[in-house]
Amino acid sequence: MMYPLRVRFLNGAALLGLVVCCAASVAWGQEYTPEERSHWSLKPRAERPVPQLESEEDRRWVRTPVDAFIREKQRQLNLQPAPPADRRTLVRRLYFDLLGLPPTPDEVAAFVNDDRQDAYEQLVERLLANPHYGERWAQHWLDVVRFAETEGFEYDHHRPDAWRYRDYVIQSLNEDKPYNQFLREQLAGDELARQMKEAGQTDLAAQHQAYVAAGFLRLGAVRRNAGNQAVAASRNEVLTEMTDSIGAAFLGLTVGCARCHDHMFDPIRQRDYYRLQAFLAATFEHDEPLTTPAEQAAWEAEKKRAQAEFDALKAKLIACNNLPNCPEEAALRDSLKQAEAKIPPPLASLFTVQNAGPQRTAIHVLKRGEWEQKGALVGPRPLGVLAPREMPELAADAPFPRTVLADWLTQPDHPLTARVMVNRLWLFHFGQGLVGTANDFGLNGDRPTHPELLDYLATHFLEHGWKFKPVHRLIVLSNTYRQSSTTAVENSGHQQDPHNSRLWHFPRRRLDAESLRDALLSISGQLNTKAGGPSIMVPVEEDLVKLLYKPAQWQAHADAAEHDRRSIYLIVKRNLRLPFLEVFDQPDRQTSCAARQATTHAPQALELLNGTLSNHLADSFAQRLQREAGDDRPRQISLAFQLAVGRDPSPAELKLCGDFLQTQPLREFALAVFNLNSFLYVD
Amino acid sequence: MFDPANFRPVSRRDMLLDSFCGFGGLALASLLGGQARAAPKDVLAAKEAHNPEAKAKSVIFLFMAGGPSHLETFDPKPLLNKLNGQPRPASFGEAKYQFINADSKLLGTRRTFQRAGQCGLEVSDLFPHTARCIDDIAVLRSCHCHRVVHSAAQYELMSGRVAPGFPSMGSWSVFGLGSESQSLPAYVVMPDPDGALEAGQPMYSNGFLPAAFQPTMFRPGATPVRNLNLPSTVTLAERRRTVELIRQLNEAHLPPNDDELTARIESYSRAFHMQTEAPQVFDIADETAETLKLYGVGNPTTDDYGRRCLLARRLVERGVRFTCVVSGGGAGNKQWDAHSDIEENHLRMASETDQPIAALLTDLKRRGLLESTLVLWGGEFGRSPEAQGKGRDHHNLGFTMWLAGGGVKGGQAVGTTDDIGLRAVERPIPFRDLHATLLHLLGLDQDQLTYLHLGRDERLTEVQGQLIEEIL
Repeated sequence: MMYPLRVRFLNGAALLGLVVCCAASVAWGQEYTPEERSHWSLKPRAERPVPQLESEEDRRWVRTPVDAFIREKQRQLNLQPAPPADRRTLVRRLYFDLLGLPPTPDEVAAFVNDDRQDAYEQLVERLLANPHYGERWAQHWLDVVRFAETEGFEYDHHRPDAWRYRDYVIQSLNEDKPYNQFLREQLAGDELARQMKEAGQTDLAAQHQAYVAAGFLRLGAVRRNAGNQAVAASRNEVLTEMTDSIGAAFLGLTVGCARCHDHMFDPIRQRDYYRLQAFLAATFEHDEPLTTPAEQAAWEAEKKRAQAEFDALKAKLIACNNLPNCPEEAALRDSLKQAEAKIPPPLASLFTVQNAGPQRTAIHVLKRGEWEQKGALVGPRPLGVLAPREMPELAADAPFPRTVLADWLTQPDHPLTARVMVNRLWLFHFGQGLVGTANDFGLNGDRPTHPELLDYLATHFLEHGWKFKPVHRLIVLSNTYRQSSTTAVENSGHQQDPHNSRLWHFPRRRLDAESLRDALLSISGQLNTKAGGPSIMVPVEEDLVKLLYKPAQWQAHADAAEHDRRSIYLIVKRNLRLPFLEVFDQPDRQTSCAARQATTHAPQALELLNGTLSNHLADSFAQRLQREAGDDRPRQISLAFQLAVGRDPSPAELKLCGDFLQTQPLREFALAVFNLNSFLYVD
Repeated sequence: MFDPANFRPVSRRDMLLDSFCGFGGLALASLLGGQARAAPKDVLAAKEAHNPEAKAKSVIFLFMAGGPSHLETFDPKPLLNKLNGQPRPASFGEAKYQFINADSKLLGTRRTFQRAGQCGLEVSDLFPHTARCIDDIAVLRSCHCHRVVHSAAQYELMSGRVAPGFPSMGSWSVFGLGSESQSLPAYVVMPDPDGALEAGQPMYSNGFLPAAFQPTMFRPGATPVRNLNLPSTVTLAERRRTVELIRQLNEAHLPPNDDELTARIESYSRAFHMQTEAPQVFDIADETAETLKLYGVGNPTTDDYGRRCLLARRLVERGVRFTCVVSGGGAGNKQWDAHSDIEENHLRMASETDQPIAALLTDLKRRGLLESTLVLWGGEFGRSPEAQGKGRDHHNLGFTMWLAGGGVKGGQAVGTTDDIGLRAVERPIPFRDLHATLLHLLGLDQDQLTYLHLGRDERLTEVQGQLIEEIL
């Protein structure tokens, strides 16, 4: 069965466009073969009954359907699931996984001592309802959509309103917004907002959200330069960037490979790449004002005045510099600085896109991807391998083209959209996807380790209204998730499945960069949990700022308390990455990142031993230990372990630390705790 | 017609899949797909090159940022002087510039050229010192790139792509060969203290390669490397105790056969090595007065670049794989970006770098290191034959770079530009050919040195680069 574009999803105008263009459409010569259409990820989801396990013991192990699928595959290799993790391990795992923060000792104790039958289920519900959940899971999505708040390239201009997109993602996740709506808003929010306006809806908040969501399309780096503009080349770069990001984020396909030639591996013809791009032909960056026309006019006037003053002074300074001797130079420089400060900052606006019909780019198939080498003109059409042969292109001037694309992507029987998303959820829970290559469901990507489970989850996702939380529940309530991460050396699994693709134990993970920073702040008692709002610049070494082409761009926030906000609220600047986050594998946010790496190398150790952040927080942590445990060494040590690793120290650990503290300062002990593997890893 | 049934890319993964059909294959598919998931042993361990016979073991890139003029340096054009002040004859074709337009006039050079060395290649009077090393230098006169603005051209020079997000040649080199040094970073960038460049930090970066392959910036001033210095409140003896406690606690909790946690414990030993030994590299007190003088250390004009070139040699001696020594930073005229006055700018920039560069080549050679050290000189593009006032605009259609050492045949010029230096005509050399050749000299094969990213086996050269056979 193929994937007809369902007419019922089309709005009237788009439908009209479709009909108008029907006559002109003939199937192109490059039809897809049945073999091409039968790649596993392009085929419809199948009904996947929960496996009926033979042994009574196995059936008892099954807590959610996930377990039946997992156990069945383990059985085939004669693997035994690991015993359940103890409660201390479980509560720490769940906090980091769902909130990205460590549990406090009280929270650990509350769970460990909760003897209700459903203590774990209750914990899961509490955490899923906790607003930190959105902050944690937004981080994952921001990686996928290459979120950054500057333009990159030479000027790396800041995008002062891009933070609204980050807050939009956090809020959407906390609301458990259905994914089909989440996707639609990001692909076509500006079109939705216009439709709302045209329909006379007065809910401004909803319109603003939709605009902000569409900021997704312009999150990428963009090149600007002085002098002569290569307009067509730049436009081509922007279109390419948007198309590839849509492919990676929503389709889980490397459509970008088909930009220069037919895809080497996947059934994506070059023509289809440009047809996908054609949905964006009229899409241009746009700042939707949040102010009245009168306010804008006043701002314009003020800016013009201040700019003129600045320009005049600058001209004077240049003239002065050309003189052999200019006593006024210092004074001029001073006034110039003052004049610059008087130039009003940009007015608040919504960072978004809009369809600018008259400027629409004619989309051609480009030979070798080069914008000068124009081939056939194409119109918007979903990927051919997923479309029936006779499906026409949309008219180039269809009024809401991206809504049509979103409609196509969110059809319940679209083979990719739901699979790609539930695989991401699985990956973020376990550190490895059911499909290992989460942005590549094509022929060159990995095959699913558990195809039936993937489909089961996708169907469950849809049956629960495209909501994430029901899928989270299915996963974290499972016994698969609750397994211990430690295994006996003699376990045959080490030979049979050394990389644990059948999940015969829980995969231990190193804290990702942001969780590590947040955890350091949290256990030191310094974390500022304020949510939302403009992004924060923290102080960094002056030498690093000097490496910026425009060092003045980096202005640390005046209020030091803001420097201790959660990492997701720190600015993401393409040309100045925070060294702490960079060294612990934060992706560069230049392109989509599906899965974090977890490397191990000496600069990480140097960062935690000698870095400013860890040394500063070691002081705070030591002060906290002193404050809360008094002068009693064993109590200090116990408290440190409870805070950092969620358990008491063993007698051996207690002795080692106690001996150390006989001669060494508490802040050095605090620093040592930051470097414990038991702290850096989540079992 | 594409037929997946009989078209299969041949890759390491496929070979393994083919040999482990069935369930093992499935497991392997997931295992090999995510290279990041493989047990993190020491990713920086030294690795054998694809071609172990290759001579070059390390690279020093003398990055002349901003775009030095080929017309004032290594590519003499008598006709350009004759046509000074005239519009470009139509026969030379079109060119697009960042600032100047079609009505601009050609600008002759005031530099003079001398034949140098045994080979008799012409070198301008900007480089009297470098001219003495010309027999070791292969001049590439027909380089060209795809963009005429700094940021994009710098990305292309470093990573082969005109946009950020791709690994630099330094990161690729270390990815391919690992590190020879236990106490120094494998990939070092020494920026110009005058400031940053247009493409910023992302141009040097590891892109999607693991973070272990990121560059280490050696910054000007007292603390060249981040985090090598202890906080002022702690003594080394004290910190040694702390590191010891960390080791004891981590070992007490180390499960048997746990590669990952073992690697992390080892990373602390390495970190401690770096902390105690790396600073020695910065202490040039053990260099002779003659060596310091050779590099121009102590002379205000050459002191900065001389020190950094000397440091580059010291890094090479200690096994650092890739070192980038940047000349130019901050405002355009502090780079080789001579828009307003080519004479003033290039005389100044050359006087700062010529002697140190010649010293580096000489010093490497007399220490027997030139054979194993590839030295690359050049910028992200050249400069226009047309005038922009008294200066020259950016120019990407034809310009000069040079290579020395590492097994390169010196004393020759490869390729030509046309008679006014507008366009590469004979043997045009795009950056990807330069990259392919650089990898080749290191014993790395551009097709084998790949990394799976977003479904593609990415490589430095993207499109197949051709080796510059003439110099091999």
